Amino acid sequence: MDRMIAEPLPADREREVVAQAKSGNYAAREALFLAHRRAVYLLALQLLGNPDDAMDVVQETLLRFFVTIGRFKEESPVRPWLMRIARNLSIDIIRKRSPRRIKPISEDEEMILDPPDPGPGPEALASRRQVQRRVWSAVCELKALHREILILRDYQDLSYREIAHVLEIPVGTVMSRLHKARSCLRELIEESPGKGKGNAEREEP
Amino acid sequence: MKEKCPRGFDEALFSGYLDGELTQADEQLVRIHLEDCDSCRNRFEAMKGTREVTMSTRFVVPRDDQWKELPRTPGSALARGLGWVLLIVWFMVMLAYGLWQFLTGPDGLFEKLLVFGVLTGLGLLFLSVLMDRIRAARTDRYREVER
Repeated sequence: MDRMIAEPLPADREREVVAQAKSGNYAAREALFLAHRRAVYLLALQLLGNPDDAMDVVQETLLRFFVTIGRFKEESPVRPWLMRIARNLSIDIIRKRSPRRIKPISEDEEMILDPPDPGPGPEALASRRQVQRRVWSAVCELKALHREILILRDYQDLSYREIAHVLEIPVGTVMSRLHKARSCLRELIEESPGKGKGNAEREEP
Repeated sequence: MKEKCPRGFDEALFSGYLDGELTQADEQLVRIHLEDCDSCRNRFEAMKGTREVTMSTRFVVPRDDQWKELPRTPGSALARGLGWVLLIVWFMVMLAYGLWQFLTGPDGLFEKLLVFGVLTGLGLLFLSVLMDRIRAARTDRYREVER
């Protein structure tokens, strides 16, 4: 699962680093930045579909985190907190986009999706890539409410408790909303090319 | 039409089961149901397959040399915010002062109408942008998402 966190810090070490960062230690802040920038970037990229915007979200998220770090409880994990900030910033960016400039997230998928690890052979690789693209395109067509919860769980690998923290909803709601999102995703995949449109949700552009 | 479990089983539990987030009792409940119900088992397997695809999807991340550096001090954000506030206050004061001087000044009606026309034009442009924003907010893709 190297796709998610580049340089994670063990929980104990993270607590120490947060304490140092709170006292203004720049090296500690940089360590937190290095440990979490990749995960924050991926979430923003998945929500926004644009690498430049995602990079801006990384900067702004970490900046906001360090501005408010005095209020952060050291015993809390940093990642869900950062995810919440990054998710809210991403929503702000989407809201600020001019209506004329809104485009489907999947339009730039060549820039977004990385080729899967080489499998048994080129054919298997091509087939796997095609399936991943098809699923990602379907994810992009989900309602925002469903897309974000699916991204947090299946692409960001957050637990239900962490998702509840990010979205500020009860854990029970996480499970029901996630199930609804997965059902809609399944319908979208089944009706994709050659199968006609069914009842699945589809976000209006 | 979306399929439902003929026995009315709570299908939301499938997601919890798939993610290992259920209590032991609920987990057992789902396992027993899946053994018995073909319809649910098929949907569960399809969901599981999709999840495997999503979890194995990789995204392009910047190389080490492409990352921007951490801003040296968070104080710069505060300074930027304060700068904007001061600039806006200065602009409003200057605008009000200039208008007052102009309206009470010796200029003729024609000059005053010219300036009035320019300001009205700018005001209408601003209004059109505002209306665009309101329309965008009404069709906001994230309107259901709480902040």
